[in-house]
Amino acid sequence: MVLLVFFLKVEVNPTGIIALRALPQSKMRNALRYIPPSTLIGAIAYPLFHIKGERKETLMERKNPKSAADTLRGIFLWTTIKMSGKSKAYGSILKINRLHRGSVESAITSLPFTVMYGERDYSMSIVYLLKEEAISASSYSLKDFERAAWGISRLGSRESVVSVESVESGRVEIHEADEARTSYAFPFTGKEVEGRGALQAVFDWRKGIGSYSNTSFIVMFYPEEEVTVRGALKVVSLDGEEVVL
Amino acid sequence: MFLSVGVRFEANVEALNMVETAGNYSKHRRVPYLVEEDGKLKSVYVPAVSGESLAHAYQEHLVREALGMGLPVCDDCAKGEFFKSMDEVHLAPKLFLLDRVFKTVFRDVTTVSDETLRILNEELEKAKKSKKLNEEKIAQLKSYIELIQRFKNADNPRALFIQHKSVASQVIGNYMIKKNILDLSPYTIEEIIVKNCTIEDIGGFMYAGSPPVRRSSVFQVSYALPIKSMALFATAEPQLHARHAQMEGGKKGNVSEQMIYYVETGTALYGFTFNLDLDAIGVSAITSKPILDEDEIKKRREAALKALFRMLSSAQFGAKLSRFFPVGGITELVVSVTEHPFVVTSPIYDDYAEKTEKRLKVLESFGESYFYAKSSGEKLPEEVLKEAIEYIREKGHI
Repeated sequence: MVLLVFFLKVEVNPTGIIALRALPQSKMRNALRYIPPSTLIGAIAYPLFHIKGERKETLMERKNPKSAADTLRGIFLWTTIKMSGKSKAYGSILKINRLHRGSVESAITSLPFTVMYGERDYSMSIVYLLKEEAISASSYSLKDFERAAWGISRLGSRESVVSVESVESGRVEIHEADEARTSYAFPFTGKEVEGRGALQAVFDWRKGIGSYSNTSFIVMFYPEEEVTVRGALKVVSLDGEEVVL
Repeated sequence: MFLSVGVRFEANVEALNMVETAGNYSKHRRVPYLVEEDGKLKSVYVPAVSGESLAHAYQEHLVREALGMGLPVCDDCAKGEFFKSMDEVHLAPKLFLLDRVFKTVFRDVTTVSDETLRILNEELEKAKKSKKLNEEKIAQLKSYIELIQRFKNADNPRALFIQHKSVASQVIGNYMIKKNILDLSPYTIEEIIVKNCTIEDIGGFMYAGSPPVRRSSVFQVSYALPIKSMALFATAEPQLHARHAQMEGGKKGNVSEQMIYYVETGTALYGFTFNLDLDAIGVSAITSKPILDEDEIKKRREAALKALFRMLSSAQFGAKLSRFFPVGGITELVVSVTEHPFVVTSPIYDDYAEKTEKRLKVLESFGESYFYAKSSGEKLPEEVLKEAIEYIREKGHI
């Protein structure tokens, strides 16, 4: 069966550091090396909400607050990223001496970040596949999503500022295949991979975004180069590039 | 409205962001850059200034601007200690510093006091019966009980808390808030913090009490990094310095005649990006409704813009400015102001201004108006920033 879906392909340039906090948090504040789908949805949620004058970031449902991006979960069929180059985690040991309420305090801390930038041109390409029916039932239009894609300003936390350099949109078909070549991250389970890359367990965004007290994980394969994937695949082709769902 | 600024600045012999010391050696922050050489990638370490450091400097300017405009700033932020209501004790002073907040939270002074006294007396009894030596805790509990008894019978209970700010903060934080004596919902907590402190409204906060409440910063700032085409020319070199002590009459304690120390100084052409989401100021991140009236929101937006102007025009960002003030200054600057989020291309790329201008034109297809300006030989960075602020004023946002 062939399914047509609306896509957004967003080229993003970092302004330096990409900082992705991995949970559970600790004093070490470990960082993820690759950008998970939940972060990609959060990144477009912020400008999308802005268009509607919506400032909500936290949903106070029962005892566990969630990210407001969770309300958009049903609109996304899939989202993934292609990253040129290998990310590098780097952290400084910080010694801090300060005067606090009359006494000297000393502290040592460490801030590892995932770092992606370089002498050569560095870019990231994000693909969003959207369910048009779900958009029609929402207060947003496809145009709103396009404008929001241009407004992505941050990936992850704090100083992970990015600029969007181009946005392509349109409709694309999802087809079934036994084999595909891709540079985009994909769920690893049930697939055979030929090529270089890294595995990373990420939050399963389909179960909820922004509340990680009782979450489940999916294992994603992040290719370092174009890899061959085999299995019972769902694939979309965009400008000659294949994306495996 | 969303403001985005790309800044390039030349800094020769700077120590803007020192990260660690090993004995008498102070290190400059460095980050890895990937370099392609003979078809292979290798990492080189270049000097950098963290976004955290730039954000701290911005907030210090914001404190001064806010106070100058008569806007509220909490005691911690006013001192440049940006704890941001991180726990119950740091939240506590915000419950009584503003009259309008105090009246809402402490509506029934007698009931609140009686419940607090009941818990404190229980704790005191436990402490007295305990086999441990805890005289300090007993004395502390007695001081809390005394304050709450006076609070219950005071003619002006808020003034009493202000007079005994430190003890009041501890008893309110550790007992009234932690034991849920005060009815504080997440929205109420956010409202109290935003009303009390312009810095936490604009710079965000993370209250880690129960229930936890967070508010994202309405400004974003990237690392300042050497621009890509010149990254290999960036250096971080240790400079030797000496401190001398007069040694007449022999050695004084452990002090030797000459103490040497090293400060690593960086030299680079840096670029960084700063974004400011003016629409988020004074608006709840939980309900999406304004917390403040329109006039105060406009004043706070103006303070946020003035602080940015002041930071950039004075080059007062980073550390060790008193002895290592960087030689150089802002070489280039671009500003965009859009209705919704849009980020200028990072100035670490050579064609950032042209790319930004081209990308902004796309927004016309969404029916969106925008402002763009770039400094040049004839136009100073300060003039560009002033034009952007005037554009925002014309649009009625400040």
